[in-house]
Amino acid sequence: MQPFSLRSYPRAILHIDGDSFFASCEVAKNPSLRGKPVVTGKERGIASAMTYEAKARGVTRGMRLSEIKKVCPDAIILPSDYETYSMYSRRMYSIVRRYTPDVDEYSIDECFADLTGLRRSFRMSYEKIAEKIKHDLDTELGMTFSIGLASTKVLAKVASKWKKPNGLTFIPLNIAHQYLAELPIEKVWGIGPQTSALLHKYKVKTAYDFVSKDNAWVIQYLSKPYIEIWQELRGQVVFELNLETKHDYQSISKTKTFTPPSADRSFVFSQLSKNIENACIKARRHNLVTKEIFFFLKTQDFSYTGFDIKLSHGVSVPQEIIKAVGDVFDTVYKVNTLYRASGIVLGKLEENITVQQDLFGTSVSIENTKVIYDFLDKLSKKFGKHVVFLGSSFTAMTTKTHAGERSDNTERSKDLFRGETKRKHLGIPMLGEAM
Amino acid sequence: MPSYSEIMRLTGYKTKSAVSYAVDKLILDGIIKKDSRGKLIPNQLGHARILGLVEAGFPSPAEEELSDTMSMDDYLIENKEATYILRVKGDSMIDAGICDGDMVIVERTDKYRDGSIVIAEIDGQWTIKYFRKEKGKVFLEPANKNYKPIYPTQELKIAAVVKAVVRKY
Repeated sequence: MQPFSLRSYPRAILHIDGDSFFASCEVAKNPSLRGKPVVTGKERGIASAMTYEAKARGVTRGMRLSEIKKVCPDAIILPSDYETYSMYSRRMYSIVRRYTPDVDEYSIDECFADLTGLRRSFRMSYEKIAEKIKHDLDTELGMTFSIGLASTKVLAKVASKWKKPNGLTFIPLNIAHQYLAELPIEKVWGIGPQTSALLHKYKVKTAYDFVSKDNAWVIQYLSKPYIEIWQELRGQVVFELNLETKHDYQSISKTKTFTPPSADRSFVFSQLSKNIENACIKARRHNLVTKEIFFFLKTQDFSYTGFDIKLSHGVSVPQEIIKAVGDVFDTVYKVNTLYRASGIVLGKLEENITVQQDLFGTSVSIENTKVIYDFLDKLSKKFGKHVVFLGSSFTAMTTKTHAGERSDNTERSKDLFRGETKRKHLGIPMLGEAM
Repeated sequence: MPSYSEIMRLTGYKTKSAVSYAVDKLILDGIIKKDSRGKLIPNQLGHARILGLVEAGFPSPAEEELSDTMSMDDYLIENKEATYILRVKGDSMIDAGICDGDMVIVERTDKYRDGSIVIAEIDGQWTIKYFRKEKGKVFLEPANKNYKPIYPTQELKIAAVVKAVVRKY
């Protein structure tokens, strides 16, 4: 075995990963959950995250509630509190940004940060900076993070996964080969079962076997994405950090499951209408318009039917979309079929610059609608989301999405301070009561 | 002051001589002048104080004052990423002026000292008390003589320090 570089950190890339993030947020808010098997995702009917205690008992991601109760009867199953999770997530990014502006907000519970060149200004080694970031994250957020420091994104990901939970692993490039020799190839980020099966055929069992192959070999046997992983594992940066804060969306989608399932046309349509309103709120918040929409219904036996609609101009107000959907709804909706979810996808998003004039003068009424929605958005800002909604969404807005145990609301929405409303509370995480 | 080519860009003039023509007029009117190296400098500023931008009319002294104020958020919250709220339950801190139902603003930190009001984790519950350190021993002290101090049997887990109390009527 030999190193493929003599330098330790030609680049210093950090990967930060929240340990069982959603479940950890719940424990951070409520210390009585510490050390217990906690599972989130109650409202979806499947586990979205679980603590290590629940993992140890055999609970896995995507497991159904009924099965969780079988393998782990004392599991504490909670509804997801996305408001709190995203607050913690934003705090994670901001804490890392204290040290470097180069932060890649990879997902709600993960980010990459580039520390290259910061040793002098902090007067400390990269390892020490990583340690400080971890200390800030752990103490200020009250949960643990697993952090990896290496020269590329793929290697940093290897490092953060090396010890989990609560790990801090440094893989300088000059000794990276020792780590890779112990790493089965299928554990490398981006290598799926197909590729690892192919690699196994050529006696490539570990990541070290893989990086030992020469350039000609990888070009002959692999396609571009895997050649890039090969380069990254050797310490060559191919995947630069994406420094844009998530702002431009390729598409916006809103799906909601409702229980019990329903065959009632007006109920199902109203659920879809509510999703459309929600998607439009998000589009307007980011100043985007859609030119192509797709809506779908999901039946009780998990089959999907949907319809794709192209619009003549960019739209960000719900009634235009609802009208377009209403025209074709009956080609999708079948009488006497039980539906369990509806969804809308706004595609072909573009920035809402100026409304193009069209031949038939509809742009005048579009202008008027725009004025109405500017006011509605102001009302929502002041009084909370959905303070005014469309009549077509009435049934969905006024009945619970879930009957039975899945209808449980999050603690935060039940426990309000004077002056807070159900729809609008303080933007600071609430830790509950202190005796 | 901008250079000739910058003025070209700002005004949309196509040539520097057009800029020069306009600049000469301003010099003639005494608005600007050229320094020893030929660069443009303002001629008259220095007599008036700039008090922020106003659309028209007299500058308002209020704007100068306002730039030095802070919002309630900035006042109550020092470290945004580490700040949380809790609701107080019971009267164990009543003599410190912290009542049942109050909102406390706390900061998760490992920096606290004798006399800090802290949020500690005891038997899976949050408790709000004074942190005390006497002769190397640490304990939690209530602000109500009807309650006894808490001497930890295991490691004392301090989660946060209380920074403010908010009570809305």
